[in-house]
Amino acid sequence: MSKTKTSKTVHLTIDGQNVEAPKGAMILDVTPGLGVEIPSLCAHPGLEPFGACRLCVVEIQKPGWDDWYKQLVTSCLFQVEEGLKVWTNSDEVRQNRKVVLDLLMARVPASDVIRDLGNQYGVTKTSYAEVDTEDTCIMCDICVRACHAIGRDAIASMSRGPDKYVDVPDKDACIGCLVCANLCPTNAIPFTANDNGKRRIWGKEFDLVTDERSGEVLGTTEYIEHVRKRAEDKGLLCPEDMKHESARVKRYGYAQKLSHVADVEEPIEEVK
Amino acid sequence: MSKRLYVTPYRCIDCKVCEQACSLAKTPVPGIPAKPRVQTFKVDDQTNFVLLCLQCDEASCQKVCPTDALVRNPETGAIEVNDRCIGCGFCVQACPFGCMDYDDIHNEYIKCDVCKGDPACAKYCPTGALVWDEKAWTDQEAKERTEKKSTDPFSIALEMAKK
Ligand code: SF4
Ligand code: FES
Repeated sequence: MSKTKTSKTVHLTIDGQNVEAPKGAMILDVTPGLGVEIPSLCAHPGLEPFGACRLCVVEIQKPGWDDWYKQLVTSCLFQVEEGLKVWTNSDEVRQNRKVVLDLLMARVPASDVIRDLGNQYGVTKTSYAEVDTEDTCIMCDICVRACHAIGRDAIASMSRGPDKYVDVPDKDACIGCLVCANLCPTNAIPFTANDNGKRRIWGKEFDLVTDERSGEVLGTTEYIEHVRKRAEDKGLLCPEDMKHESARVKRYGYAQKLSHVADVEEPIEEVK
Repeated sequence: MSKRLYVTPYRCIDCKVCEQACSLAKTPVPGIPAKPRVQTFKVDDQTNFVLLCLQCDEASCQKVCPTDALVRNPETGAIEVNDRCIGCGFCVQACPFGCMDYDDIHNEYIKCDVCKGDPACAKYCPTGALVWDEKAWTDQEAKERTEKKSTDPFSIALEMAKK
């Protein structure tokens, strides 16, 4: 994982606020709770940082640099350092985000997420020629990274340069979990979650498994099989017996099984 | 000695006050209560049961999570879901007790985190079935210390809303 676990902390300032942060963290990771807002589309705390959208740019100054000298960096990829100064909303930063949004608007004119962000920064229309497309993918690779994280690697970016696109080359690898579609910042992955017990995504159709007792949808057959396998790989006690039931039904079953302890006059200790 | 959450199922009267307290305490958006992390059941005529996350030493949810989003808080001993969660739902399938859940209203994966050391369920449980203390309560203690508590969900909701 990208985040090195050390107990060491560093001190920096973000927009004039003194901040203590764990060594190895990225600037973007330490901003929540500070009241500063850095737009970011391609970053997710649980996934490897990638630096694709370039919206999270900030200005930095390291100790020892001349006063006038600052540098623009992507905050999702820049590690915190002792004595670092960060500006998240300076004129220079805003100007750069405008250029990025101008370009993104030309690339994905149909995306309302980009349009809303553009409006926030005063970019209402792109100054470039718009690409003629309904697609809203901005090539941020969140879906690719997420699919890698869950252990399927079904999604990949194909081709290169201006023709680059994201697709599922091996349809068998996709398990229809919808993680990619739910994480996509611009909702570029079309899907049907449940159409009469069928799910469709990436041009593939899946059968859905429903809990008999509660009628809740648990996921696709392939998804359930993947989790069972994963549990087995991780050495969970009895993956064959893994109950594929909704949480409430599982709890009820467990309550029934354990109800005899309700008569025992000894409390169960919950948290050790 | 640090506090623990003691569960004494035979004291549970299935009044659902803990569920209500949990829902309100865990509300991410004011006015839209969350799905409760704790649940009570009427198993049969004589038996009620209250169930919440057991905070297993070797937790299945933690093991299957691909992004290390489930981390034990050393102060409370409880496992918490953090912002690294990508919503794959593996943990929900893996938990044998059904204590990992998906809140479809708020689109969140949820579990009991003992409210970071101040569990609302135990605070409002009128019978001492759920107790957050340094030691378990005897029946006598539970009776004495909970006598003043109300079992009326509405007054409890009101009391919580005031905070
Ligand atoms: S839903 Fe979130 S917490 Fe659960 S296994 Fe997936 S990433 Fe981890
Ligand atoms: S969030 Fe940093 S480049 Fe996209």
